Amino acid sequence: MSQNTRPKWARILLIVGRIALAAIFLIAGYAKLKPQFAMLWSVGSVRTSLSMFAMQVDSYQMLPPWAVNAVAHVLPFFELFLGLWLLTGIALRFSSILSVLAFCAFMTAIASAYHRGLGINCGCGIGPVEQVGPGALIRDGLKFLPLALAVTFGSFWIRRKPAPNAVTVPEAAPSTQS
Amino acid sequence: MKSKPLARCVPAMVTIAAMTILALALALPAAAQAQTSAPTKPATSSATKTTHPTASVNTATPAGAPVKTYGSSTAPITMEVFTDYECPSCRNLFEGTLRPMIADYVANGKVYLIHHDFPLPMHKHGYEAARWANAAARVGQFQNVEAALYDNQNYWGTDGNIAKYVSAAMSPAEFQRVQKLMVGCEDQTTAAVTSPSLKNAAQTTHSCALDSYIEKDRALGMTIPVNSTPTYVISYKGQRLPAGSGVVSWPILKQFFDSLLSQ
Repeated sequence: MSQNTRPKWARILLIVGRIALAAIFLIAGYAKLKPQFAMLWSVGSVRTSLSMFAMQVDSYQMLPPWAVNAVAHVLPFFELFLGLWLLTGIALRFSSILSVLAFCAFMTAIASAYHRGLGINCGCGIGPVEQVGPGALIRDGLKFLPLALAVTFGSFWIRRKPAPNAVTVPEAAPSTQS
Repeated sequence: MKSKPLARCVPAMVTIAAMTILALALALPAAAQAQTSAPTKPATSSATKTTHPTASVNTATPAGAPVKTYGSSTAPITMEVFTDYECPSCRNLFEGTLRPMIADYVANGKVYLIHHDFPLPMHKHGYEAARWANAAARVGQFQNVEAALYDNQNYWGTDGNIAKYVSAAMSPAEFQRVQKLMVGCEDQTTAAVTSPSLKNAAQTTHSCALDSYIEKDRALGMTIPVNSTPTYVISYKGQRLPAGSGVVSWPILKQFFDSLLSQ
């Protein structure tokens, strides 16, 4: 298999990278679903948490209420799904591309809110409550997005079929066309 | 090795989706167990509640602190809002969200709304407007004046003639009482608004009696902390949520309140 032609350290690095990336999405998804106040986990508590997340999505003032609800009710589960997908390593190229697109979408929303002068909470779910602005953009743009890009490039590089001229067995070289 | 087509990954995707559901199912009881042993958060807005113990609509307390609240303090949900009267987002929040909320959920005893002043130095007349609102609150006319200030923000924000809109929001007799409370405050407005920071503004305006109420609100806001206006803090049965900021539309806020009330 082509994976075996890559150095072991590269494969280990890719595993570490995708686990870190998976952790980001799992933590973000969990933070949006966990019970607020002192509620116990229940369908009602999840509904309350999603309603609260909807308020954060709404404060970006980018979507109509129906779309706010759609995003708020889908995004946390999508983040959990993507986190688990990355964790399994199945079809890593696709999951990592999806993670890059997700970070690009988050950064676009944050940059848009910052550009419009909205002093709102990021609602990112990772770390302490943070306002949209340079801090959130730097975190996503200089930490998370590069990690996602590195995992994406790594996944393609690991899976890439070696070029024919990379095979160093003269006898096995293909003959030229007559 | 040739890459698999995406269609061949469908079973794997289904497996991951199933794992997501399974992980949630496993995490829920475990987390519930953890929650039962976790200490509950202390209610930090109790100080505010004691400041406004009566909290009924249009309650006048001329001799005491200004009442800047809507509804009953026994409501299960308390919403504290830190705003600047000259801030456009605060106006949008009031007009689009708080006004329908007051007419519905506050009137029906579901929500107790508390206003806190948080004038920003970038707004030329915001501090003066807060003084007028506090003076009006002292004579039980806060709600009318708050509405008048937001309704006419574009006008007094330009010419600074706040008194014109305050006077239109109440009877002449009540306005006279408000004017008496404003004696010694209007001439200091320039010093307040030209200060480079809110801290300096507070230092230069201590002789205006109404400023103590504004500074008290601002000090409370600093503990939240309020980084921008509008900022709101929602408490449910004594448990306080992390502060939110910005404009939230009424349908989305109502949905959140409904989810809380259905617990």
